[in-house]
Amino acid sequence: MSQNENNSFTYSQVTNDVVRMLEKPTYKWWALFLPTLGFVGIGMVCFFYQVYTGLGVAGYRHPVFWGVYITNFVFWVGIAHSGTLISAILYLFRARFRMSIYRVSEAMTVFAVLTAGLFPIIHLGRAWNFYWLFPYPNQRELWINFKSPLVWDVFAVSTYLTVSSVFFFVGMIPDIAAVRDKVTAVPRKIIYTILSLGWKGSHWEWLHYSRAYLYFAALATPLVLSVHSVVSWDFAMANVPGWHSTIFAPYFVAGAIFSGLAMVITLTIPLRKIFRLENYITMDNYDGMAKLILFTGGIVTYSYATEILLSWYTGSPFEWGQTYYRMTGPYAPLFWTMIFCNVVAPIPLWFKKYRSNIKVLFIISLLINIGMWFERFNIITMSLSHEFEPGAWGIYKISWVEAGITAGSFAWFFMFFLIFIKTLPAVSIAEIKEILPVPKKGGNK
Amino acid sequence: MSDDNKSGLKRRDFLKLLGVAGTTAAVTGGCSSEPVNQLIPYVIPPDKFIPGIPSYFASTCRECPAGCGLIVKNREGRAIKVEGNPEAPVNMGGTCARGQASLQGLYNPDRIRSPLIYKEETARLAPVGWEKAEKALSDKISTLIEQGKGDRIVYLSNNVSGTFRDLVDKWLKATGGGKHYSYETFSHEPIRKANEILYGKDVIPSYRIENADFVLSFGADFLETWLSPVNFSKGFSKLHTVKNDTTGKVIQVEPRMSVTAASADKWVQIRPGTEMYLALGIANVIINKGWAKANAGLLAGVVSTYTPSKVSTITDVPAETIVQIAKGFSENKSLAIGGGAAYTGSNATQTQVAVNILNHIVGNVGNTVDYSDILMISNLNSYQEIAELVNKMNKGEVEMLIVHNTNPVFTLPPGLKVKEAISKVTDVVSFSSFMDETTELASLIMPDSTFLESWGDYQPTQKYVGIIQPVMSPVFNTKQTGDVLLSVAGNIDSAKGSFEVDNYLDYLKNSWKKVARYVSPGENFDSFWKKTLEKGGVTFHLEPAQVELSPSVMNVEFDEAGFAGNGDMYFITYPSYRFYDGSGANRPWLQELPEALSTSVWDSFVEIHPDTAKKLGVRTGTYVDIKTDQGSIRTQAFVYEGIRPDTIAVPFGLGHKSFGRYAEGRGVNPLDILPASSDSLSGGFTWFSTKANISSNGDYELLVRIQYSETQDDREVAQAVNIKDLPALEQDHEEPPEFYHEREYPTYRWAMAIDLNKCTGCGACVTACFAENNLPVVGKEQVAKRREMHWLRIERYFDKDTEGKLETKFLPMLCQQCGNAPCEPVCPVYATYHNQEGLNGMVYNRCVGTRYCSNNCTYKVRRFNWFTYKFPEPLNWQLNPDVTVRTKGVMEKCTFCVQRIKYAEDIAKDNNSIVKDGDMMTACQQACATEAITFGNLLEEGSMVNELSKNKRGYKVLKEINTKPAITYLKKVKWDKV
Repeated sequence: MSQNENNSFTYSQVTNDVVRMLEKPTYKWWALFLPTLGFVGIGMVCFFYQVYTGLGVAGYRHPVFWGVYITNFVFWVGIAHSGTLISAILYLFRARFRMSIYRVSEAMTVFAVLTAGLFPIIHLGRAWNFYWLFPYPNQRELWINFKSPLVWDVFAVSTYLTVSSVFFFVGMIPDIAAVRDKVTAVPRKIIYTILSLGWKGSHWEWLHYSRAYLYFAALATPLVLSVHSVVSWDFAMANVPGWHSTIFAPYFVAGAIFSGLAMVITLTIPLRKIFRLENYITMDNYDGMAKLILFTGGIVTYSYATEILLSWYTGSPFEWGQTYYRMTGPYAPLFWTMIFCNVVAPIPLWFKKYRSNIKVLFIISLLINIGMWFERFNIITMSLSHEFEPGAWGIYKISWVEAGITAGSFAWFFMFFLIFIKTLPAVSIAEIKEILPVPKKGGNK
Repeated sequence: MSDDNKSGLKRRDFLKLLGVAGTTAAVTGGCSSEPVNQLIPYVIPPDKFIPGIPSYFASTCRECPAGCGLIVKNREGRAIKVEGNPEAPVNMGGTCARGQASLQGLYNPDRIRSPLIYKEETARLAPVGWEKAEKALSDKISTLIEQGKGDRIVYLSNNVSGTFRDLVDKWLKATGGGKHYSYETFSHEPIRKANEILYGKDVIPSYRIENADFVLSFGADFLETWLSPVNFSKGFSKLHTVKNDTTGKVIQVEPRMSVTAASADKWVQIRPGTEMYLALGIANVIINKGWAKANAGLLAGVVSTYTPSKVSTITDVPAETIVQIAKGFSENKSLAIGGGAAYTGSNATQTQVAVNILNHIVGNVGNTVDYSDILMISNLNSYQEIAELVNKMNKGEVEMLIVHNTNPVFTLPPGLKVKEAISKVTDVVSFSSFMDETTELASLIMPDSTFLESWGDYQPTQKYVGIIQPVMSPVFNTKQTGDVLLSVAGNIDSAKGSFEVDNYLDYLKNSWKKVARYVSPGENFDSFWKKTLEKGGVTFHLEPAQVELSPSVMNVEFDEAGFAGNGDMYFITYPSYRFYDGSGANRPWLQELPEALSTSVWDSFVEIHPDTAKKLGVRTGTYVDIKTDQGSIRTQAFVYEGIRPDTIAVPFGLGHKSFGRYAEGRGVNPLDILPASSDSLSGGFTWFSTKANISSNGDYELLVRIQYSETQDDREVAQAVNIKDLPALEQDHEEPPEFYHEREYPTYRWAMAIDLNKCTGCGACVTACFAENNLPVVGKEQVAKRREMHWLRIERYFDKDTEGKLETKFLPMLCQQCGNAPCEPVCPVYATYHNQEGLNGMVYNRCVGTRYCSNNCTYKVRRFNWFTYKFPEPLNWQLNPDVTVRTKGVMEKCTFCVQRIKYAEDIAKDNNSIVKDGDMMTACQQACATEAITFGNLLEEGSMVNELSKNKRGYKVLKEINTKPAITYLKKVKWDKV
């Protein structure tokens, strides 16, 4: 925010602007929410149908045993990471441009992890036994297999969910208190009172709060790198050509942040317009995010190039066969879409002219997310289709059940997000106030 | 082993009286009226019967005229698995896919479950009791006899020999002198006629492939359906055993690459219909080069005009190839065979004469061609005789047609108008077990029990008679035809006194008393009978036959093959090794067994060369219309180089219009477009007699196959070695450095060796695996989604040989039970683990279905239960109680038949010992007719598998991935020139 704008802001104005977002939802909100609920319902019906009839209703075909569900899983876990990056890592780096968007990003993280966490259950053949992946004491004295990357996933994702949720909630306490003070309607006031945990805004509360926030940020930071590395090892630890590559951990982490930032942009651009937050979420924020996108996009492009070059360089018929198949086989259109969306589409962001153009940013962010979804689909299904044994090659075709559940999962995420923007402060009141100039004595409150 | 089952039945009835409802109902089949819904163990089991311990009964297979000996496993009153009888000389322990699938004939849900009689009032068939049905038949016959029309009864059956043939003949005499016709779809008349011309013997001899080093086959698919395929597979196995860096050789002369041609050492792609000229050309070379050993002088004149250059022009076979074949044929212990049904054309007899000449001049007669042990199908009625029968029916001269184990409406060409003719017969009686096209026309159906539920005998060749005994009591309310005939005769006044006994078992025993007196005089009959039942049959000692060349061979005119119609393409139809003459089409295992070369399942297809396909604008899967003067059929194309550009081929056996849910409305029947013509000399049906036109309107549908990739690219999973490289060959023993400790196996390390030089792709192992391990059949739609449940699959790879011609490699691929299994570390719940005997264990109950194990499997041998598959009653009676039946959501894969391993270990433990080589066999190993699969304990010094794993031809598939598989494959041996 520029100096000039600062002068027109007062503390109370900030609070009012944010609390205004929490007013009774208009028909516009309901017009979005009800269809979202509808799709969640469709997703649930599809899922129960799948559990009842058998996994055969999904589109799997030997030898492609993982498909859209795991793609969705990795996609959502990836998106979650950039939220933590913005709220935790950029906090430690004291990046100014994170202030107004970090709350939305963190919310996105929590909801993305909640969405991602659905898929390891959905894709199971015997989904009702999903709890066997947890090490719980049982009469048969059975342990889980700690060597399996799927078990590492269980730990990684549940840790991430726990830490992010606590981080998210604790960070919001002062803001919830601000909302509590503004709100008068009785049921809401009670809820906010409970959630604000009796925050009074005293000096020692602020001291402990900022210490706690710092420690949580420090705790969440390594998770950004480790969780998606662990998820990438689901693939890298297998011997499948196209999966078995040491570059996967940094590749996936960079890709995660890449797609997550794009998702933040996709979510905040409409949010900003609808709630008239243009003064809070400014082009500076987008400028910073766009530069991060270029950085992580560069790593992703480098990873593609490395994979392709090295698969040729190894001389292994399996590796090169896989790469060639991706580029020219039945899925080639998806491969090239991915290359276009991830490598070519972000190029305009090198130019300030496009970085400051809201429409361009929005389109590019959508393309990046499409590209990243296809990247995961690429890696999973194309590698499995064309492995070692020519007698066992086969392709994958998505089925209506999978499409229904995928749509349902996007709706599930969106449902949480819509509820969030109407119930919790979507912009951080406290932090924005921190950067406003201190009011002169006798001036505005 | 076996028991006199009749007394077993009595004990089971006794149990029924005790009120042991559940399992007894399974045993007594339809006799019991109590519902089967409780598992009640035997309170007092019958003697020698311990629940959990199987009983084995020797019997003889009746799925085709070969008559292989079987040992059938019975658990708690149900037949659950078929194995070959090692003591039967026909098959010596081997089986074929159809023999394995005979259980699905026994338990087929579309079987006729009780007698049916046509009711005028409702114009439909209605179930009726046996007494009424037999009375209806005996009344009808009595009427006919009174009217003096007893000789207008016709008994039309498949090939029957031994006691039953005797019974039918006597029965027909007793009922007024009717006629018995034995009809098989493939009756090989040209072979018989050619032998009559050369030697004055109207017979089919035994071909001893096991005594040969060089087999020259003119279109005879001896590894698939020709005469006695399991016997020939055993011979092939011996021939193809690598000894002293060399093997025997098979040359297959055929316009298309059949499964037999795929296993041959050289495939000669001859112009269709010219095999005769090639044989004469080879004989010409042999005689002219002085390589002949017998009657060269006499026959020189017959073959003199067929010089290599002339023959080469006619046949498209290069002249030097002809000379090379002639050289190999005369230098080695050779055998020439011909007469595959597919190439039986108008000159079929002359072709066979030429083949006989070849055998004669190098002295094969008495060595590899044995006229002392003739095949009993030599006594079949020829196609011409059957056509005359149809004519008689048309003229109304047949009052009663009794059909038994044959389906002429399906297997005879429509030009004969069989259906109309049969409709003119006053009474059609069928003993069929299934509602097939012929039985639909019957007014009285008295379903025969299948051979697994009946008494009888069968004589495939003169040397051996196999016993047929019931393995279990009938599943449905069926009665064996022998009993029915005797009972019906008993109700007819004029026939009453003709038979001394009233049931077929006694009749059989009486007949065998004569055999006993001949084979082992002085022995008590009961002990002889018991021994025979245990052994499965008796072998006779035969005097060697003397044959003399007849001068009538000089009068044979070697005419060109004639083709009807003026189409562009030669049209071949060949008997399918899965369906034979169509009788296998209602067995789901056979429908889901992929055809070895196209890997197509559940449907027909037409083989088209790529050049032809390009001209037509079709690719694999496009619908093609094939038109001849007789009609048109429409099926999907399979485009590959295994057929000539001027030829197309459609397998025979599908295209049923009835015959149950698995066969009905599936595929096309190529007979629909064949003319009803016969070979004038022998009277045999000419399968190869017309040319066709093909066209396409471009309609496309996926041709459902198990495997879509055709080549190995550069991956070398199925490997071969050239015979000249064999002496210097060494196994690649290089091992990468290990990071972890070597795994230690205390007692057993189960391993397998598969000899690719012996595997013929016949699929018996695949079918046996389905039977043993309760594998579900998923149906065409699911196979289209690549969800077939084949634990063991035969991969097929096309390659080019040194001359640039197509060659095929088969690779049986199953779980390699890797020492360093990639599937084990990735399962999150430890559902798959490595056990102390080297097996990769699969715990169905623990599997959650994440499917990571399959993603990591290098060989992609793991299968997932996408649904809970159903086994429609009574197919579920066949399920093996030792193996879990899996529900949806669970991974499964080959376990090296761990249930058999455990069973053998239990027995060994009781004997204070360990399982030794030969104590147990896996299902696939036991079924394989060529003994390509060897299984055993790698740690046992001197075991077969230990020796083979060190064989210089041995290699491991995808060794470089370092999975340390337990299966050693032995490279196929290629001959670089003839």
